[in-house]
Amino acid sequence: MINTRRVRIALPFMAALLSLAAANVARADGFDIARLMQLLAATPAMEASFIEKKYSALLSEPVVSSGKLLYRRPDVVEKNIESPRKESYRFAGDQLLLVRNGAEKRIPLSSQPLLSAFAASLRGVIGGDLALLRNYYQLSLLGDLPSWRLEMTPIDEDTGRYVQLIVVSGRAGRIEQIEVHETSGDHSVLQVR
Amino acid sequence: MADSGFLSKLAMRAVSRHAVALICFAALALFAAKTIRIESDFTAFLPPSSTPEERLLIAQLRDGLVSRLMLVALQGADEKTLARTSRKLAERLGRAPEFEYAANGSLDQFVAQGEVLMSHRYALSPAMHAEKFAVPGLRAALEEQLTQLASPFGALSRSIMVRDPTGEFLAIVRQFDSGAMPALRQGVWFSADGKRAFLIAQTRAPGFDSERQEQAMIAVRQALADENPQVVAILTGPGVFAAESRLLIRRDAERLSMLSALVILAMLVFVYRSALVVAMVIIPVAFGLLIGVLVVNATFGSVHAITLGFAATLIGEAVDYPSYLLLNSASGEAARDSARRLRVTLALAVLSTVVSALALTLSSFKGLAQLGVLTMVGVLVAGLATQYLIPWLLGERALAFPRLSVPSTNFLGQSRWPRVVAVLAVVGAAAWLADQHPAWWQRDLAGISPVPPKMRILDAQLRREMGAPEVSVFVASRGSSQEAALKAAEGVLPVLHRWKQKKWIRSFDSPAWYLPTPDRQRARLSLLPDSVVLERNLAHALKGLAFRPDAFAPFVQDVGAALGAAPVTLASYAGTPLGARLNALVVELDGQWLALTPLGGVVDPGKLAQDLAAKTPGSSQVVDLKQVSADMVDGFRREALAQAAWGAALILLLLLAGLRSAKRALHVALPAAAALVLTVAVLVAGGERLSVFHLVALLLVLGIGLNYALFFERVAADADERSRTRLALAVCSTSTIITFAFLALSSTPVLHAIGITVALGAVLALAMSALWARRNDITPAGSAR
Repeated sequence: MINTRRVRIALPFMAALLSLAAANVARADGFDIARLMQLLAATPAMEASFIEKKYSALLSEPVVSSGKLLYRRPDVVEKNIESPRKESYRFAGDQLLLVRNGAEKRIPLSSQPLLSAFAASLRGVIGGDLALLRNYYQLSLLGDLPSWRLEMTPIDEDTGRYVQLIVVSGRAGRIEQIEVHETSGDHSVLQVR
Repeated sequence: MADSGFLSKLAMRAVSRHAVALICFAALALFAAKTIRIESDFTAFLPPSSTPEERLLIAQLRDGLVSRLMLVALQGADEKTLARTSRKLAERLGRAPEFEYAANGSLDQFVAQGEVLMSHRYALSPAMHAEKFAVPGLRAALEEQLTQLASPFGALSRSIMVRDPTGEFLAIVRQFDSGAMPALRQGVWFSADGKRAFLIAQTRAPGFDSERQEQAMIAVRQALADENPQVVAILTGPGVFAAESRLLIRRDAERLSMLSALVILAMLVFVYRSALVVAMVIIPVAFGLLIGVLVVNATFGSVHAITLGFAATLIGEAVDYPSYLLLNSASGEAARDSARRLRVTLALAVLSTVVSALALTLSSFKGLAQLGVLTMVGVLVAGLATQYLIPWLLGERALAFPRLSVPSTNFLGQSRWPRVVAVLAVVGAAAWLADQHPAWWQRDLAGISPVPPKMRILDAQLRREMGAPEVSVFVASRGSSQEAALKAAEGVLPVLHRWKQKKWIRSFDSPAWYLPTPDRQRARLSLLPDSVVLERNLAHALKGLAFRPDAFAPFVQDVGAALGAAPVTLASYAGTPLGARLNALVVELDGQWLALTPLGGVVDPGKLAQDLAAKTPGSSQVVDLKQVSADMVDGFRREALAQAAWGAALILLLLLAGLRSAKRALHVALPAAAALVLTVAVLVAGGERLSVFHLVALLLVLGIGLNYALFFERVAADADERSRTRLALAVCSTSTIITFAFLALSSTPVLHAIGITVALGAVLALAMSALWARRNDITPAGSAR
């Protein structure tokens, strides 16, 4: 009685649905992007030291820099580099305040897609804002609650020309590492301590 | 029997005469259709230029850089969509044959344009120093680049730094920071509120070439429709003005001519109620118009669309003559008899209009000269046709038509008060005008350009939103060769730098930045070390840094290439947006070369001119296009005033000769003069600023006013004739007022100015003539039928 043709069409369709669900939506342990974002969003503020290593085909050894990462709700993110040279990037509202060599520069985030995508990656991940992240990135979550890995691929062509992939990994509601893989093959690894 | 034979022979002859007239007309019309070339270069209606500054202004308006820039505003979708559409559109237009380039502020566009600058950076950079290429200089530069690479935006600077660690490209680009760029959103130009995305496209066609500008506009709309039909584009800029005003003028010309022709026809049918009579009235007008247009075409090589629009008014004027002839003939009187009787009055009426138009034909304004020739020839032909053709066509026949009765204006003459009031009004108006002088003259070239104000307002609004105000002040540097002109432009830079530092100017854009003199280029390149020295210095500088030893190989290679490269010339920029820009800034004019440096936000152009004169050898001067254009408008107004005065004097002489009495001539001239004063006062009180077009129209008012006064002044034999004169005047003035009132509706400033002035003037002239009508017209009350 069962129409075999319909089954043949329906089966791969269902398989695809299932795999999608496995990747993103429902997991056996109830851990998914929504849950992860909830955990991250529970952080009211953050202040942590970081150490960042930049690897490049131009470099014989990575450049190491260190400083402090700051977050305050709803949208203030600061990356203050202390070594090897003082430098500060402060995102607030639609503005990036850049302090380098003692000179200040203000740039509207909306002016360049790369800027707004970069700000969104920090704000979205640290503040647990799923909608914001989805505006700029295709997301895929791997691993489980004690050790997760969120892969973010830029949607925007312009950003994609410079950034290939951002990988954030962590443990429960804590971010431990942010890797940025550039299209040029260079990459950087920022570890939060 | 014999009687009917005579009649039929008469009818036959009339029919054959009509046929001859018809064939002549058809032949002329066919000839006209084959030969007449219609043009719409709007600069024909800009004043003629005489000084070098004025020629520069007109050249800039016609085909300079400013005239070729089209502003495209995209709206009607969300920010992301608009930004995407802006990118796609810029790419498509950049490849379109109608455009040199389309800029939207995006980074990739900038990088693509920047390649020429990048490859010639060592010849172009204002920051070149020998120390930069020695070990300590290189070391500092490399450390800076290392921090840059490790920064969050290292990806952006990565590809440039290996070629240009000393930052010469950036030093070049920094000069261009004009201080007033549109806001960027999503990487492209936007209005501050994010509702409109902006592009600036440079057309290949010069701004005055309205047909090719229209094609360019169509290309933009087509590209947009292909890309995203939901997005709406607003186009503006000088070329768009040219194209749109061409359409508007053509539409105005067609619609207004049509409307006034129809209304006049309706009026004629109402007055005469006879197809034959209406035909007789139309024939002189038709011949006058047709021959007038043919003569204009033969004299000028083409007919301007505005001139054709003006033809509409000619209908209103020329239709008066046959009307006057026919309405003045007594019932049963043959046309040839009334023509003989009215010869002098008719001739004076025609000649005074011809003389008033003569002043126009002498104008150095090509467009006005065309209007003058058309009026002169048209009126003359219509007059001749009335005097000779109509009687010939009608032969012995007397036309029968019902004569409408027009109430007498005698009541005006019975009391002194209306005249006293009128005199007081005229004197008061003259005093008020003298007091307000010269505030009521139009001094802005934009005010007399044929571009409708609505378009200019939209353009100004978009430019404000974009933060890109129109450039109207230049430094023009002259030289016998391109190189000499650029050298002169280079000499101006120190003064401009100082002015910018003091914030007396906001920005400047010098062609000398892109095209330094060969000497200067050589001097800069001589600061570069040879490859062996550079490699040694670089190796020293890299010691202890995290960079790989060969990371800066492209830098060494580029410096080597720069040492052997030919100097940068205009040809180096061929095919780039910069090249298109430079072609417009370095121009040949009157056998000399000019390098133009556009200035933004100049606080005091006069002081800058003094400063330049004191500190440069005098080959550069400040040109304020607004000032030049105001001077031009003033100069042309003086010319027009002089011409109008000559015209008025000639008309008076004509009256003296025709009427053979100074007293009668004065009696005719005074009401017309009073009407002129009142017309000007009413126009100024209504907020109009008088331009040359108003002046020219006032001359027409004078001609018309004299016609009325002449008709009123004629000694009438009896009450019947007076009644006929009144009817003739009523019909003539109505047709004039109607046609010029239609013209006043035109959105083209020239036609509007002429229309409103003449319509108003005709009403006032009629009133004044009636007030001062001949005493013997005053008959005991109740004589009006």
